[in-house]
Amino acid sequence: MPQIEFINVSKEYDPGKKVLDDVTFKVEPGEFMFVVGPSGAGKSTIIKLLTKEEMPEVGDILFNGESILNILKESVPDLRRKIGVVFQDFRLLDSKTVFDNVAVALEVADSNLDEIRSIVPNVLNMVGLTDKMFKYPRQLSGGEKQKVAIARALAHEPDVILADEPTGMIDPDSVDDVLEVLEKINSLGTTILMATHDQEIVNAMKKRVLRIERGQVISDKKGGKYRG
Amino acid sequence: MAKSWSIFMSNIKKEKLLSVSNILIMTVTFVLLGLLINIVVFSQTALRYLEDQAQVTVFFKDDFGEDKIAVLKDNLAKDKRVSEMVYVSKEDALRIFREINKDEPVLLESVSASILPASLEVRAGNISNLKPLAEELKLLDGVEEVRYFEDVVSRFKFWSTVVYIVGTLLVLIFFVISYSVVIAALRTTINSKGVEFEIMKVVGASDDYVKSPLIHQGVFFGLFSSFIASVIMILLGVGITLANVFPKGLGLGFLPGVFMAPWVFSIILTFILLLSGFLLGYLGSSAAIKKYLNY
Repeated sequence: MPQIEFINVSKEYDPGKKVLDDVTFKVEPGEFMFVVGPSGAGKSTIIKLLTKEEMPEVGDILFNGESILNILKESVPDLRRKIGVVFQDFRLLDSKTVFDNVAVALEVADSNLDEIRSIVPNVLNMVGLTDKMFKYPRQLSGGEKQKVAIARALAHEPDVILADEPTGMIDPDSVDDVLEVLEKINSLGTTILMATHDQEIVNAMKKRVLRIERGQVISDKKGGKYRG
Repeated sequence: MAKSWSIFMSNIKKEKLLSVSNILIMTVTFVLLGLLINIVVFSQTALRYLEDQAQVTVFFKDDFGEDKIAVLKDNLAKDKRVSEMVYVSKEDALRIFREINKDEPVLLESVSASILPASLEVRAGNISNLKPLAEELKLLDGVEEVRYFEDVVSRFKFWSTVVYIVGTLLVLIFFVISYSVVIAALRTTINSKGVEFEIMKVVGASDDYVKSPLIHQGVFFGLFSSFIASVIMILLGVGITLANVFPKGLGLGFLPGVFMAPWVFSIILTFILLLSGFLLGYLGSSAAIKKYLNY
């Protein structure tokens, strides 16, 4: 059973202007897939639809075989705990330490202090930030900030991680570190869906590439390449 | 619940100045609300007192004897419009005259009971019956003069009604202002935490998790400021009780004939203010947070 399935999905923010137009694709468990395309192609919309921040006008979206569209409002938090999201702008809380930024994900799920004290160091260890646990975001490089965001997304041991241009705001030297972390997480069985328009990354990683332009799927190739 | 309160307490600690100014603004609003309600009740009470005092005074001719006046009084007692009558004989009138003019011995020496008229003070259950009563009494045999202060009473009644209507409208307007103040105060907090709420929602926070600390904050602001306003209103009530401004107590416009001690009214007002504080805090914070729960 596919982990994620888009079935003829169309989405428009303004009437008559389709951001996604009849998009259909499947993602199997444990896959690493790039969603590529120019700015405004509809990459971020795919991520917002998967976290139910937005709803499609047409089509269906299945997650682990169940339609996301039928999920009740009160069950959306459960869905979002199964799908970790990493953003281009990190979305960290500047007033909280690295530890507390990761702990937020657990606090909102009513985890107790013992669980938080056990899980947070583990996920920070996984992304290689154990020594920065009590630093504040302003004391970190762009790459380190993104790793904190990845650690936060990992806190619930999600089935899938959605990364929306995760390397877009970090220095080139840190890009490899972030990708390495994402590959490591993928190798442990977590599905990764990464939206990007960085052709160097896509071509170097040799993963499945779903190309979108003007809201439509142009190509879907395993080990594919991308020329922006 | 405990976590929600701890988040709320940390919000208050982090934003001490903002919290203090919010509470001050809301306290002023609730004090004004309390004063306004007081003014409406006081004016209604004053009208009641004035209506109670309003009377027609019938002065009799010297040749109209006490026996005739007694017959007239008995007849008037059967009239349903009349609530109370007091007969003031020539001797009573002299006593009253002496009491009023006790510091003027020259004047007192020149006056005797025979030159003062006997009179009958007639009070009506309904102030609007005074005028027809006066007109009818004027036509009776033996009546020298009929006096009543129609203008004063009707003018006060008019202004009292104006105060009642304007006061009620102002109370409603102040409710709307209070509501806006709560929303504006909490929006400031919410906007400063907008990113945090978005992050919380994205990582799986339920609406209640995001909402509860802000609802607590709104309810706290509402209850705390209405409590301060209530204390001021209770002190005002105790002051009015001690000063004995309204000896019979305060009258409520919508409950004719019911009077209560000012301090009792202050306690009722306290409940009204606290309930308003709670509702305004709850509804205001719910409205303010709404837009962050839409995704």
